[in-house]
Amino acid sequence: MSESVVRYVVVPFAQIFVILNVLMLGVAYLVLLERKVIAFMQVRLGPRRVGPHGLLQPIADILKLLLKEDITPARADRLLFLLAPVILLVPAMIAFAVIPFSGEPFTVLGVEVTPWITDLNVGVLYLLAISSLGVYGIVMAGWSSNSKYPLLGSLRSAAQMVSYEVPLALSVVSVLMLAGSASMVEIVRAQAEQGVWFAFWWPYPQLVGLFLFFVAAVAETNRAPFDLPEAETELVAGFHTEYSGMKFAFFFLAEYMNMILAAAVVSILFLGGWLPVTFGFLPREPLSVFLGGATLTGSFWFFSKVLAVLFVYLWIRATFPRYRYDQLMRLGWKWFIPLGLLHVALTAVAVLVRQG
Amino acid sequence: MFGPSEMEINLGPQHPSTHGVLRLKLKLDGERIVHTDPVIGYLHRGCEKLGEDRTYPQAMVYTDRMDYVAAFCENLVYVETVEKLLGVDVPARAQYMRVVLAELQRIASHLLWLATHALDIGAMSVFLYCFREREQILDLFEAFCGARLTLSAARIGGMYQEFPEGWAAEVHRFCDVFPSRLEEYHQLLTSNRIWLERTQGVGVIDGPTALDYGVTGPCLRGSGVDYDVRKAMPYAAYRELEFDVPLGRQGDTYDRYLVRMEEMRQSRRLALQALQRMPDGPIMAKVPKRIRPPKGEAYHVNEGPRGELGVYLISDGTETAYRCRFRSPCFTNLQALPEMARGHLVADIIALIGTLDVVLGCVDR
Amino acid sequence: MAHVARPKVPLWRALLPVELALGMWVTLKHQFRPHVTQEYPKERPELRPRFRGVPRLRDHPDVEGQLCVACNMCAAACPDRCITVEAKPRTTGKGKEAKLFLIDYEKCCLCGLCVDPCPTKPITAIYMSHDFELAKYRRYEFMTDMPVLYEGHERNEYDR
Repeated sequence: MSESVVRYVVVPFAQIFVILNVLMLGVAYLVLLERKVIAFMQVRLGPRRVGPHGLLQPIADILKLLLKEDITPARADRLLFLLAPVILLVPAMIAFAVIPFSGEPFTVLGVEVTPWITDLNVGVLYLLAISSLGVYGIVMAGWSSNSKYPLLGSLRSAAQMVSYEVPLALSVVSVLMLAGSASMVEIVRAQAEQGVWFAFWWPYPQLVGLFLFFVAAVAETNRAPFDLPEAETELVAGFHTEYSGMKFAFFFLAEYMNMILAAAVVSILFLGGWLPVTFGFLPREPLSVFLGGATLTGSFWFFSKVLAVLFVYLWIRATFPRYRYDQLMRLGWKWFIPLGLLHVALTAVAVLVRQG
Repeated sequence: MFGPSEMEINLGPQHPSTHGVLRLKLKLDGERIVHTDPVIGYLHRGCEKLGEDRTYPQAMVYTDRMDYVAAFCENLVYVETVEKLLGVDVPARAQYMRVVLAELQRIASHLLWLATHALDIGAMSVFLYCFREREQILDLFEAFCGARLTLSAARIGGMYQEFPEGWAAEVHRFCDVFPSRLEEYHQLLTSNRIWLERTQGVGVIDGPTALDYGVTGPCLRGSGVDYDVRKAMPYAAYRELEFDVPLGRQGDTYDRYLVRMEEMRQSRRLALQALQRMPDGPIMAKVPKRIRPPKGEAYHVNEGPRGELGVYLISDGTETAYRCRFRSPCFTNLQALPEMARGHLVADIIALIGTLDVVLGCVDR
Repeated sequence: MAHVARPKVPLWRALLPVELALGMWVTLKHQFRPHVTQEYPKERPELRPRFRGVPRLRDHPDVEGQLCVACNMCAAACPDRCITVEAKPRTTGKGKEAKLFLIDYEKCCLCGLCVDPCPTKPITAIYMSHDFELAKYRRYEFMTDMPVLYEGHERNEYDR
């Protein structure tokens, strides 16, 4: 097999295969993790009966959803009804093409493999663009259901997602200023070079940016406290009312996959990606030697950070009441966008100060 | 009838937030509510009619099941009305026992209110924490009378059994832990900006309007009207006990929330006081075996957790009542819902049903 | 009477998410506290002595024969009219005993009003047992007669 075929076809396919499988399993177990973590916070146990400590619960849930009757409403637009979950799920998956899981390439069977599928030099822009495509899926789901409540719910969700794209992008812009590049790998390397995660950058720590990005990501993924469009106790039941069976499962997979994507992006942009947690004074070298090889340690740190951010997602869901829709939109437009603009201005000033 | 952009939607009887089977017909103008029409009767079981066919002691089990969250307060008002008809003097010890149980029941009812109200607005964990406390109170009731929800704990003429061994100590243990738990609820909700945005300014009703509608209980006190049956027409041992009645100022959901939280603290104080001051003595008055009150009528009111509970009995000299009428606070409080909901968004209706503390068993009887 | 105080929040607390962090601390603390779940049916609930389960009959070792004197007071006191008693002359001694004692568990509301008027105090013939698990497959199986009232009904064993 020629070298270019291996490099451009076999290796990427293998990477995609591995990453998608790990992702799907991760999403299924994230559902279980959410139920357990929220349960522990509420002084109860989560799922316990299916498998030890409920570890087979996601398998049971998937089997149940697969075997459920697939109902399509009578006058629904069949093609759009079928496509909507797919259009929601696929962008979440393909966005993982630019996420680096570790720092250094490793060799497998004599072939060099990078721990990222591709390193676009406009990786950040690619991410923002692809994640915005999810809005199409939601609008299609609401429209094709041919029922007024899903339509209302989907329009609200779509409007919410679109309005929180702006604070998201603004906080990303300030990171771009610090890193000098839009490539995800370059951003982490810049944090390595400057010796500090961007969240604690000197002279202006990007904590405001982290907060803004995180809150905007929570709103983007329709999670509490911004989950009014899909909450069960509210009147309008949300865009996935008419869905059942595997299509419904797709919506949930898409939501949790977007959560994992957001957590991964937060850890790369603000928390140093695959860089070890050194608290600014622990040396890096002995740690990585202890944990054996840069690739493995890098991915260990990366996954820990992603898990930590996901824990905060779940923690927030367990704690706070939810915002009403108009309050949510007001928050996004009147508070977070000005805050984001101010943050960008302050970051620009800080960059100048640091340079000169 | 309908304006150009008005529509009517149905918040159906089956809904996770309607605290029972309440149906609301909402007339909307765009997103704003123009009018609300509560449709009730889905839980009507004919308790008042059944009361005419059962003897006075037997009809007490129906009072448990009407306002099932505050069962003891319903029991108490019924039993006291029969005692009024009979002209019986309940011994002092039984009066104090009744106060302890009624205040514990009030705490349990307010905990359930807080749990469901917070859950409807989205704070899931408060629900579980409140139920953890409520479990302790229900255990106390189980230790006393054997049942957790449908107590039937009072008897005509007094109480039928003493507190078991160690019950008072258990109440003290609960009351020791309770303030820190209340503090936790305050930390989670009271200053929380999301909670403030969802509850401040929502469902405002002022004092005179509330009085016109016949609203009683914390909903009335949240609007600033100082009316508590325990102070205005004291029953059981309340005349001799000291407690404060919290009042709101603006009559919005947040004030009613604060009023009920403070009432929980005052109930704890009352329960401890009553336990401490309980005199010794008999717990049951001399009541005939078959209760046949003389011809006449009696009306007696009680302060339930939701408002003024009342029982009106007409006796025709036989063992069964001629007319047994229950005045339910939730029924009259629900009348104020259209007034409170006017001009608000649909998402606020859920908060409003929660703040009125509607229990459909009480509304429909 | 005292007016409730709406908390006054200084500006810096309003701008920074301080109270949100406090709320999150409360839920985090609970993460590490023991749970209050009782894993029924593996863990059975500990019932208090006065727990009101279904009414059942019992005898007393000091009394010869049946303790119940078939006075019908419990049937008269029952709000749901679920008790049926038929009397017959006592086999040992004077008075009556129950030939037929039938309780319809489907109607019984577990109120305990039947125990109060029972004359055989202090150990009443009819008592509220600690049985609360009453699922049956057929409606007629709820009509419980004397042997089952004495011994208790068959318990379904839950195996997991």
